[in-house]
Amino acid sequence: MAVPDIKPDVKIDQGDLQDQKISSYRSPLGVTDTQTARVEGFTTESGFRFDQLEVSYQTLGTLSSARDNAILVCHALSGDAHVAGMNPNTGRPGWWDYHVGPGKAIDTDKFFVICSNALGGCAGTTGPASSRPDTGKPYGMSFPSITIRDMVAVQTRLTEQLGISQLFGVTGGSMGGMQALVWAAEYPERVRVCVPLATCTSHSAMQIAFNEIGRRAIRSDPHWNEGNYYEGRRPAHGLAVARMVGHVTYLSAFSMTHKFGRKRQQPSLSRLDDAAMFTVESYLEHQGESFVKRFDPNSYLYLTRALDDFDLFDKGEVADIVRRIRARFLVISFESDWLYPPAQSRELVRLLKRGNVAVTYINLDTPYGHDSFLIENPPFARIMGHYLDHEYRRKNS
Amino acid sequence: MNPHVYETVLDWIPKKSSVLDLGTGDGAFLERLVQSKQIRGEGVEKDAVLVARCVERGLVVHQGDIAEGLDQYSPGAFDYVLLLGTLQELMFPLEIIREAFRVGREVVVSYTNFAHLSVRLQVLLHGRTPMTPSLPTPWYRTRNLHFLSLLDFQDFCREAGIREVKRACFSASGAVRLLPNLRAEEVVTLLHQIGGQNL
Repeated sequence: MAVPDIKPDVKIDQGDLQDQKISSYRSPLGVTDTQTARVEGFTTESGFRFDQLEVSYQTLGTLSSARDNAILVCHALSGDAHVAGMNPNTGRPGWWDYHVGPGKAIDTDKFFVICSNALGGCAGTTGPASSRPDTGKPYGMSFPSITIRDMVAVQTRLTEQLGISQLFGVTGGSMGGMQALVWAAEYPERVRVCVPLATCTSHSAMQIAFNEIGRRAIRSDPHWNEGNYYEGRRPAHGLAVARMVGHVTYLSAFSMTHKFGRKRQQPSLSRLDDAAMFTVESYLEHQGESFVKRFDPNSYLYLTRALDDFDLFDKGEVADIVRRIRARFLVISFESDWLYPPAQSRELVRLLKRGNVAVTYINLDTPYGHDSFLIENPPFARIMGHYLDHEYRRKNS
Repeated sequence: MNPHVYETVLDWIPKKSSVLDLGTGDGAFLERLVQSKQIRGEGVEKDAVLVARCVERGLVVHQGDIAEGLDQYSPGAFDYVLLLGTLQELMFPLEIIREAFRVGREVVVSYTNFAHLSVRLQVLLHGRTPMTPSLPTPWYRTRNLHFLSLLDFQDFCREAGIREVKRACFSASGAVRLLPNLRAEEVVTLLHQIGGQNL
């Protein structure tokens, strides 16, 4: 099942775009911005009512006069609304700049791309770090529990505000893939094409376990203070540990061996001071530190809980839920992804096909683990690009 | 594969039917079926590179190993299931045929006839495993796991409780009607199930 265009030793030093300092990276989109929408009167699945939500979002490309070319991109756990183009605040490219832009897999010359920061996040959309209207202080742990369905419900309100009654497509990886599935299953008339990547219909015990390690690291940080840390020191250490664990689960044994092996950061005379470390240690430390600067620990607790609680089929019989789906599907998994293993995608595909949904499924042999959808990945990009192109033409023929 | 096999299958498949093509390769034939017969088509292919080619053609395709079963499809999901040049490459043909009849109403199989005259002569005169235009690879590189003749396939059908409804035999020069087990290089056949017997 080898994909010949991908040699395991090519491009192995890259990570996802967000946490990497890429001084030479140029986005063909140049500098792009995010905007903020306001959603009035939103009630979560848990019954909490927000009088008003703020939703940070980005749009790229041009909405067609028929308003039929919108693709919603849903970000994963650590993503944000800034999907592509250079972020003027950080100087970094958007998290999916490799695959969103003119002539890219999701072609902004053809499609109107929308990406919004998820409910409960910490990059412009209302979340635990936002101020409560009654006290003026951050919600912290008084923020209501939220679900993947809540995130999608907020997105439906955003797309309504943008004047889009039906999306051409919805896509995303991991947590974003779960949102794409909810769109197709629960808003069947609003989605034509659904492209879930490296995702599942519900977390396994292993996936929950890794998230719980992250949550425990945050909660046991002395600065967490039951979530009330916004006026003092943040539980940065706990969040960094959570990110380090998470990051390991996003890689593969292959990519870690090739990227780090047993290399050391500097020649070591003594390990007693803990300074001369393996390159992989320093890499994880950097990942942890840079994540802490941009992510709210409480958001991490809420979003991972939403991930673990998600079950696409917990609201009824599988057959009934699948029968309602109108979208056509492209499902992609990655052979080296051990966090969201291909077996989970195959099970999703099986359930969809058993309900007579038109599904194309491919399991790509890219060796970068769960991160495979985030990095430069020509076979992935080609398949995504061709699929969207064919489906858009099919729609118009 | 002999181009006559493809022409025959195109002729047999009615317009707007639903077709599952097992071992669809790069999707070239499935695309022809979709375009000329407006079928609802789907391919199954093991090789990711070939699956990608199918996506580039705009086909619905599933990357998977037929040998692991077709559990993703409901009973009777397709009118036709195609096994063109595929059956002889699979370890357990009877199981595959069983699965094909579970998900499809009718099954089309094509295979290379190992009792063709030139094959017989090569074994007899040269004492070597034969290589012919329809069996072009040496023994150590062929994907075929099984070598069968037209008569073998008839026995197989009896064993499996299936009936050959239509059959077409071809050599390089065209259709073969007389002495097909001796003169045909490739055979394509449309199968029906006989009341679940042995299946």
